[in-house]
Amino acid sequence: MIRPDAREKLSGEAVYGTDLAVERMLYGAFVPSPVPNGVVRRLDLGPARRVPGVVAAVGPDELDRLCPKHDLERPLFPKVAVSYYGQPLAAVAAESPAAARAAVRAVVLEVDAAPPLVDVEELYPAWPEASARGDARTVAHVLARDGDLVEAFARADLVHEETYRTSGVHQVAIEPHACVAEVADGRWSVTTTTQTPFGVREDVSDLLGIPPEKVVVTGTWVGGGFGGKGSSFLEPYALLLAAAAGRPVRLALSYREEFQLGRTTLPMVVRLETAVRDGAITGRRVRLLLDSGASLPGRDFATGYAIAFLLGPYRVGAFEMEGYAIRTNKPPFGPHRAPLAPQCAFALESHTDSLARRLGIDPVEFRLRHVWREGDTTPLGLRVGPFGLAEALERARALRDRWRADGSGSGRGLGVACGFWSTGTGAGGEARLRLGPEGLAIVEGEREIGSGSVVGGLVDVAVRVTGLPPTAVRVVYENTATAPYDTGVFGSRTVGALGQAVAKAAASLVRTLADRLGSRAPVSLEVKGGRVVVVSGRLRRSLEALLTPEERRAGGLVATGKHYGRSGPIDERRVVDGTFYGYQDFTATVALAEVAVDKETGQVSATRVAEFLDVGVALNPALVTAQVEGGVAMGLGTALTEEMLWRDDGRLGNPGLLDYRVPTITEVPPLTVELLEGHKGAGPFGAKGVGEPPIIPVPAAVANALADATGARVTELPLSPERVARALKPL
Amino acid sequence: MARARRGLEVNGHRRSLDGVPDDERLLDTLRGRWRLTGTKEGCRSGGCGACTVLVEGRPTLSCLTLSSEVEGSAVTTIEGIASDAVGRVVRTAFEREGALQCGYCTPGFVLALVGLLKERGARVASETLVEELSGNLCRCTGYVSIRRAAEAAREALG
Ligand code: FES
Ligand code: FES
Repeated sequence: MIRPDAREKLSGEAVYGTDLAVERMLYGAFVPSPVPNGVVRRLDLGPARRVPGVVAAVGPDELDRLCPKHDLERPLFPKVAVSYYGQPLAAVAAESPAAARAAVRAVVLEVDAAPPLVDVEELYPAWPEASARGDARTVAHVLARDGDLVEAFARADLVHEETYRTSGVHQVAIEPHACVAEVADGRWSVTTTTQTPFGVREDVSDLLGIPPEKVVVTGTWVGGGFGGKGSSFLEPYALLLAAAAGRPVRLALSYREEFQLGRTTLPMVVRLETAVRDGAITGRRVRLLLDSGASLPGRDFATGYAIAFLLGPYRVGAFEMEGYAIRTNKPPFGPHRAPLAPQCAFALESHTDSLARRLGIDPVEFRLRHVWREGDTTPLGLRVGPFGLAEALERARALRDRWRADGSGSGRGLGVACGFWSTGTGAGGEARLRLGPEGLAIVEGEREIGSGSVVGGLVDVAVRVTGLPPTAVRVVYENTATAPYDTGVFGSRTVGALGQAVAKAAASLVRTLADRLGSRAPVSLEVKGGRVVVVSGRLRRSLEALLTPEERRAGGLVATGKHYGRSGPIDERRVVDGTFYGYQDFTATVALAEVAVDKETGQVSATRVAEFLDVGVALNPALVTAQVEGGVAMGLGTALTEEMLWRDDGRLGNPGLLDYRVPTITEVPPLTVELLEGHKGAGPFGAKGVGEPPIIPVPAAVANALADATGARVTELPLSPERVARALKPL
Repeated sequence: MARARRGLEVNGHRRSLDGVPDDERLLDTLRGRWRLTGTKEGCRSGGCGACTVLVEGRPTLSCLTLSSEVEGSAVTTIEGIASDAVGRVVRTAFEREGALQCGYCTPGFVLALVGLLKERGARVASETLVEELSGNLCRCTGYVSIRRAAEAAREALG
């Protein structure tokens, strides 16, 4: 199969956000905060406006003036308090990038610096042994419990207690953020590289206080998203500049800014305490301390769902889970491929492994005794549907034993880890299909971000329902003014949720055609000589003959479909505080990693990796496999090299690819991918989302392989040579 | 002041460098001035390889190259790859092996591979192929399909 977008991308014709240029376009730039924490005493944009070539400069006052109804709780520019280094305090637009840079330098800025909070543990020196307590820096607190944990701990043969730490990691989409905005005739238009055109429309509307119908968002090809392009970022700033300048404005981030301002995964600390009796888990307490950067109270989305990953896809008996999200002087926390799940899985699956080893039980066998199976109930009271975790574990065990037997040699180790994910995110969408004499168009607002879920997945769904060949189905992109609403490409939901809408629309097309053909049996569509033919048994008619004159004029028969999923009802009796999420439609993933360890330097390298993914049904095995390959590679980066290094002064010490190291082609070892079908999900034809799950178990599998090779348990990500060498040093 | 220059031959067409400042990067000349946006802008500091083009047949990071430095040279970008025999082979291999997702790294990989295969020929060892592509980052594919495409292109030329 050739990807439908391959030709355009291989010819250089595909236009991404960074490629946009229009007549009379100006270049925007941010005026960054020189400190991570402090108070703005003076901001004078006058000198910047006098720099030759500068057309507009905007700060808090211009925001008030141009957008009087803007969101006061989340102003684009802080009036007084600065929250992180590099935070935009104002912005300029000029005839050239050089003039914009000169204007930024000319701004008169006086800021009183205050000491930044960089490390969450500084705030709670006694944590995690003593509970944290909420204060002004707490943006979220969650607490849930069930069963008699005191009793479970008192009667345990063994209580296994560990603390794990993980670092900030960046999405590193190769394409930086970029957009071009224009405000004219009361229309606020922005063309941008985004996973969520409608999400950007909503954000812009809220942040600037402009009615949504006046905001028009057009997507471009997206050069990698991974969550980093999942909500508005540059767009409202570019629009404000365009409104002030009366001309189109391009705003783009440099890589340095990508790193410094990136809304991404931030560090966390996890405490796990597990009680065991007669070889079975009888109780677990987990505590999570999450750095949420400059997130605002009530806007933390992560804590309540991340913490559930720490109980795992396991039956744990009595439990208590408590989490805090703490406001620090970093950019706000943001989503990044399966947000926090790889980090939580690292903690939990390392813990599970070390517990099994302590008990003298095979770690896979120990997991199999506890994993959820279909029909089980999760700690928050949700029912587990078809779930392939046990099967994936069995397969991983078999392959592990084969790899072990083929004598991988000294210094090598093998590790297994589980991950799980929910793809029934509840985020809905609508589809519009237009069937013309030459083929079917799927009309969409959101663009393909690379995974293939739009150009491949949605097409596959339409193909399965209609019988058309893939070459007769194409995706047509429109802007948010005319495209059907959808929440966007994120959360591994595109095929699962929007795909359902496409399936419903396609089914309604097929029904309409059956009626018109006068057939009681279902019809299917074929293409003969470039024309669509409607077929039912021996009945065959050209589509053209079945269209009304109006439909012929409009380019075809149109059908729409909607799918608004629901998240499951959680058992609120178990919730003491905060918001938890009703996961459902679980998907499972298991990774097996083999590593080689240089005991002198502490250097760990993955020598082969296998992943087993519960996909429900693989609508397009090639695209699904490609998601696994990409997710595993990204997971190896999280495991071994990727780490954002904030210095005590609140600045990022490694804002570039030379010091923030993502895997290169030489660092990704041979991969084995097995797709497990049969545990059907809630998506079309039983498909489950596949974009995010593959990354989840990888760091943990590598850590477990490292422990297998050396006996040393490294409790902090990434497993850098220094940390590994330290763990290997004889005490 | 920019002086009169010999210009560049881009994808077989002569392009003037008159008025191009001495310190303008080839990446910006190609993309900004000539709107050849198939060459991708990533890190602008030599770390990602997205901006790779061929200068006199050699893979070159256009973000670290000044246009003035290479005046008089032949430059090949992704837009010109279809008129090159090796380029067509590589492009077909990428298509068939599905060696792209978002596609942002793709022009850089294609140019790097074309340059390598032209220089080393079809007998280049797999390890060399991989080693030579290690300056190009891809965040989507995990490189599995890119490796396959590189090997398929090499076989097709053999
Ligand atoms: S843009 Fe040239 S190497 Fe990244
Ligand atoms: S295909 Fe997206 S970075 Fe390579």
